[in-house]
Amino acid sequence: MGFDVNVVFQIAGLGIVVAMLHSVLKMVGKEDYANWVTLLGFIVALFIVISLLNDLFQKVKGVFLFQN
Amino acid sequence: MSWLGAVCIFISTTWIGFELAKKVRDRPKQLRQLKVGLQSLEAEIMYGLIPLDEAFLHLSRQLSGPVAEFFLYAGQSLEASVSSVQEAWENGLSHLSASSSFKKEEIEILRQFGATLGRHDRENQQKQIRLALAHLERELAEANEAQLKHEKMYKSLGILLGLLLIILLV
Repeated sequence: MGFDVNVVFQIAGLGIVVAMLHSVLKMVGKEDYANWVTLLGFIVALFIVISLLNDLFQKVKGVFLFQN
Repeated sequence: MSWLGAVCIFISTTWIGFELAKKVRDRPKQLRQLKVGLQSLEAEIMYGLIPLDEAFLHLSRQLSGPVAEFFLYAGQSLEASVSSVQEAWENGLSHLSASSSFKKEEIEILRQFGATLGRHDRENQQKQIRLALAHLERELAEANEAQLKHEKMYKSLGILLGLLLIILLV
């Protein structure tokens, strides 16, 4: 069961950097850009999570349906 | 090996951010130089009665940076018997817009001012210089405001985008 801890740190770093970008852009008054950046960061994080979930479902399928 | 690439990405995006910040920071400085230059030009025309090519060369010695190069370039092409003042001024402007951090607005103000240069008597010429100075004053206020707002933003955006790229690619 090789769960990669790096992915968790990657998502955490993504969140921190996107939060800082949001605050910087909001400080100079470009709130629309700030919202877009946050939304894009959220989507990227979701993609990472979805790829992990995909692994999980493949495993479940392999266990219960006797496929590889 | 991947660390080397990460360091390269980080350094280059930080550099881009600092270059953009430098451009924002240099614009008010160069605008101030340009204002000093036009005021000296007014003095040379009104009180010194000096021909334009000599006046340009004087100005280029007084000033510094790209604005000095601009006056030097215009003065030299005027001495090298270009047909009209306007043409020499245009030559200098095309050089200036490449080498300075001025925006289109300032170049356009200078172009309109150059079209009046050497066509009127002294009083009208003085009025034109005052008009150009008033326009430049407005641009200077706008450039100062932009510097306050955007200089820090470009720096931190460069660093943060570098970090973001590294995190996404690792």
